[in-house]
Parts: sequence; structure tokens; C-alpha cells
Amino acid sequence: MEHLIPIRLCTLILAPMLVFLIGAAGFGPLSAPKAAAQATAQEKKQEKRKQKKDRRPQPAAPASAEPPQAATPKPPPSEPAPATAAGLSAPLPREKVEADVSTRSIAVTSGFTGTEIIVFGTVDNSRQPSAEAGYYDIVVVVEGGAAPLIARRKSNVAGLWINTASAAFTSVPSYYAITSTRPLEEIADPAILEQNAIGLENVRLTPAAGAADELTAAELKDYRAAVVRIKEEEDLFLRDDYGVAFIGRSLFRSSVELPPNVPVGPLTAHVYLFREGELLSTFTTSVKLEREGIELVLYHFAMNYPLLYGIFAVVVAVGAGLLASTGFRRMPR
Amino acid sequence: MRSSLIRSDAITIQRTGNFASAQDGILTTLMSIYLPIAEMSANVLLFLGMGCAVGFLSGLFGVGGGFLMTPLLIFSGVPSIVAVGTGAAQIVASSVSGAIAQYRRNNVDIKMGLVLLAGGLVGSVIGVQIVKILRQVGQFDLFVALSYVTFLGVIGTLMLIESLAAIQRARGGTVVSRRKPGQHNWIHGLPFKMRFHRSKLYISALPPLMIGAFVGFLAAIMGAGGGFIMVPAMIYLLRVPTNVVVGTSLFQIVFVTAATTILHSTENHGVDVVLALILIVSGVVGAQFGAAAGSRLKGEELRFLLAALVLLVSFRISWDLVVTPDELYSISTMIGAR
Repeated sequence: MEHLIPIRLCTLILAPMLVFLIGAAGFGPLSAPKAAAQATAQEKKQEKRKQKKDRRPQPAAPASAEPPQAATPKPPPSEPAPATAAGLSAPLPREKVEADVSTRSIAVTSGFTGTEIIVFGTVDNSRQPSAEAGYYDIVVVVEGGAAPLIARRKSNVAGLWINTASAAFTSVPSYYAITSTRPLEEIADPAILEQNAIGLENVRLTPAAGAADELTAAELKDYRAAVVRIKEEEDLFLRDDYGVAFIGRSLFRSSVELPPNVPVGPLTAHVYLFREGELLSTFTTSVKLEREGIELVLYHFAMNYPLLYGIFAVVVAVGAGLLASTGFRRMPR
Repeated sequence: MRSSLIRSDAITIQRTGNFASAQDGILTTLMSIYLPIAEMSANVLLFLGMGCAVGFLSGLFGVGGGFLMTPLLIFSGVPSIVAVGTGAAQIVASSVSGAIAQYRRNNVDIKMGLVLLAGGLVGSVIGVQIVKILRQVGQFDLFVALSYVTFLGVIGTLMLIESLAAIQRARGGTVVSRRKPGQHNWIHGLPFKMRFHRSKLYISALPPLMIGAFVGFLAAIMGAGGGFIMVPAMIYLLRVPTNVVVGTSLFQIVFVTAATTILHSTENHGVDVVLALILIVSGVVGAQFGAAAGSRLKGEELRFLLAALVLLVSFRISWDLVVTPDELYSISTMIGAR
């Protein structure tokens, strides 16, 4: 009779575990609210896109002009202002963009749960009559350090899903967040965007020398798309089409989310100034993202002195185990 | 009015999209901790609960609990190499208290333990090297999953059948004799015989060496102490008395997992001390209650419960292997070493 109590205890422990196991199987009650939130955010964005279009003073008609210009990386200095205004031939001073980041250095400590940085700046010599005019387009890209990466593809082998093919990339940005005043495809030609690695589909993913030879172009494209898709799912590649807002004639700001899993390392913030599909000016600044305190100590310890770190881990484990066993020695059996 | 509202929305949209809900956010901030090696922000409560539950079961059944801990860690998003390495460190702690408790009750056959340990160290060294190679080829996750499904499935089924039969016999009132004195099997024909006083055995040193090596190998690739293999192997193959089995296996597990932890740190940088500490503290507490509860349960009932649990975990892992994944692609940041 006495042993009935522990059995009850066991079921008490087992039941939540069972729930966890089933819950983790991907019927996703956990992920549902997040998906819903994202869906509503998406809706809002679309609604907003419509509103913004209606509000625009000049419809996007002339924006798609001059496709051959796309090939030049920097705007040609010879013609500073294509005549949109009433044929002013007097050379106006060129617009320039300058920007900075709210936090230059972010500490990743044991309490790090992600953070948000504000990228703000001004357009020098702005010809914009008001903040709402939509005369300029700003694109802000915050990029993490490039690192090698392997993408693998599963296929079904005898009923099991197994990694059967892979593509190596020598450099993939560990993090890439892009925000802009409006959707990128409305801002500039694909060629210009591609040239400056602006946009999630234009992120610089350099395939390894071997991978480029072995794989067909289509396969490589699939792998690229998969890398971007997975990074997006991990919140490491972010896109916000209306994340940049002008606050005055020349002042703009945007907020960029750094998720909790953002890889530690220096970040680079690029700011691009566009007008009617033309890249007028760029500005680059950087953000330090560093481990600090105990996190830094442990990380360096583990990476630089792995043997000592391993012994340390064992000592900690044994110490904790012994401490607890003496602590519980007088527990009734 | 309306348009200016919408404009400021642009900045906040992203925020509401990412943080699922506000009240959830506060709890996350309070209860989360950044794991330096796993490089992720983890919910302390989740891992404390996991450690406690697994600790309870490990104390109850006298197994390291790693075979539950590693899959649970992987399910909750910890990279599998960190789950395996950290799991090993956690087993050191949970087993050390258990081993000492057993030692006090004179339930450890030191000689047998040392033979098992010698084999275990060899197995662990080989296992860690294999893990390193598998990670480079990108088949580590699959290998871990397959190992779990295979071993848990087989052991679970065998244990379930055996324990059900034992329960039936106990209900029927038949006297169960653990070991018939004159009974011999093929193991008794092997050379290098040794006398194990505590276990009242005179058998070859080879089977315990082999079992030890196999278990050490599993410790390295599965982050499990291997108690779930060693305990049945000792009972059914070596015929070690049940009361000595748990203590002796814990003795071996402590040293093998300690070696495995160090090897995983040097070879794969896969040990997260912060995560290990969370699991240890909660695990040790759970294990004490488990051990107390276990001493009041009948052996066959214990084995039945353990078998059910083992099969459940096995099924859960095979589910992921068989069901068509949503995402066929996967990425890993490392080429060679991390």
C-alpha cells in the first residue's frame, strides 16, 4: 500500500512531460499567437501601403525612368538634379545623407533578451518641402559580420528524412535587417538594389568555390532562397517596408530590432538615400555588439582554454552534486 | 489625424510583431538568461522544470537521466552538440550525489565499476571523435536521432515485456528467483575470469569491459550516461544482483561522463556551464526526491514505468524522422570546428 504514493508522484512528473513531448511535435499551440500577430502586422502594413500610395504627391510614374543608369554604382556627378522641379538649371548643392545609431555599443550579458537600436540621420541640402512629401527614400541596412555557412537539403531515403545534399557558402551575413520608407521595389530598380546588396533577395551570399562548380544555377538559387528563408524564420533576417519615417524636412529615424539570438560581433549600419530610383548618397556607421561580464569570461574560457574549461565544468558539476547530497543527507528515506 | 497615427504605427508594427504579447514579454525578461556557449536566450523556468523532472526520474530509476535530458534540450532549441556536451556535465552532477548515496548503502561493486570504467573511457574517446567527424559531414543530428530511436526502442520494448511478465508473476504469487545458482550462459565460457566479491560473481572481465566501452561510446554521442543500457546489460547478461547494479552503474557513469564532458569541451566546444548549472541545481533536488520515492517502489513496477517512458521518448524522436518536415533545408554555421 505504501508504494502507491510514489506512483502518484511519478504520474505527476510524467504527465507534464507527456504534454511537452506532444506539444513540441509541431501541432504548434505555442506558435499560433505569434503567427496571428504577424498576420495582423502584415495586414496593417498592406493597409498602410495603400494609404501611403494615395497620399503621394506624384504617382510613381517617372520613378521607373532611366533604366540604363542602373549600371553605375554611384550617381554620376555631372547631372545633380534631374529636372522634376520647374527646370531649374542653377546647380543646387548635392544632397548628402548622414546618420548615427542610438547605441554605439551593446553589451550581451546574462540578461540579454534582444534589444532595439534607433538609426537616425539627416539629409543635407534637403529639397523636401515637408516630412510627408515623400521626396526622398531612405533605406537602412544593419548587417552582422559575414561567416561561413553550410546549407543542407533533406530528402526521403527509405522513409527517413535525411540530409542528402549540401551547399557551402564562404560568407553569409550573420544578421541582416533592412528597413525603408516604402517597399524596395518602389524605391529603385532591381539592378541598383542588387549592386548594393539591398534587400533580402540581394544579400551577399558567396558560394564556396566547390559548390559553384558542383551545383546547377537553379540548385544554387534554391539554396540561397532557403538560407534567407531560414534566417528570416530565426528573426536574423528582418525586413520592414515602412520602418523609416521622416520627422522633418531632412530628419529621419528608424528602429531596428536585434533579436535575443543575434550573433555577437560588430554590426554595420548602411544608410542609402534615394530619389526617384537614383542612389544619391550613402553613409556607413557601426555598432559594437559584445559579450560582457561573466558571459565574456566564460566564452573566452571555453574557446581559448577548452581543456581547463572542461575540467572546470566537471568540478562545478561534482561540487554542486556533492553539496546537494550533503544538504539532503538527513532527508528521511 | 488618422494619417499621422498611421505613420507612427510604422515604427511600432515591427515591435508588436516580434514580441508575441506584452504580458508574455515581461515574464520573458524576468525569467530569461543568456547562455554563452549555446548563444541563445533561454527561459530559466523551463529549464529548471526540465531539470527537476528529469532529476526526479533519474533518482527514481537510478539512471543518469541523460537519455531524457538530451532530447528535451534539443526539442527546446538548444543546438544538439551543446545538448550532448552539457547533458554529459549534468549527468556528472546528478550521478555523483546518487553514487555517493548508493556507496553509503554499500551498493557499489568497486572492482566491477573499475572494469566498466576502463572500457568506458576508451568508448568515450572514440565516440567524441566520431561526433566531430559526423558534424563535419552534417549527419550528427540524424545519427543522434537514430541512436536514440534504436536503443530506446529496443531497450524499452524488452523492459516493458519483462516487467509486465514480472508483475503478472508477482500478482500470481509465484516466487521469482533472480539467479539460479547452477545456471550458466555463454559468458561463462570466456577467458580472463575475475572474482567480483560484492556481486558474488566469478566471470570473465571481457563482457564488463565491452559493456563499459559501448556505454562510454553512447555517452559521447548521445549525451546520456548510458544507465538505460548498462543496467539491463548487467542484470540480464552479467547477472549482477539488482541491488548492486544501480550503485555500480552510477559509479562508472560519474567518471565516464566527466571524461566525456572534458573531451566535448576540447573537441567540440559543446559544454555550456550556465545551462549545466541550471540543470544541475534543479536536477539534484529532483533526484533526491526520486531516490526516496524509488526505495518504496517495487522493482518490476519501476521497470515498467521506465520502459513506458523510454518508449515514449523513442516514439517522439522517430516522429520527426518519418514525418515530412515543413522545411527541407537546414543551415549550420560551422565548417569543421565551431
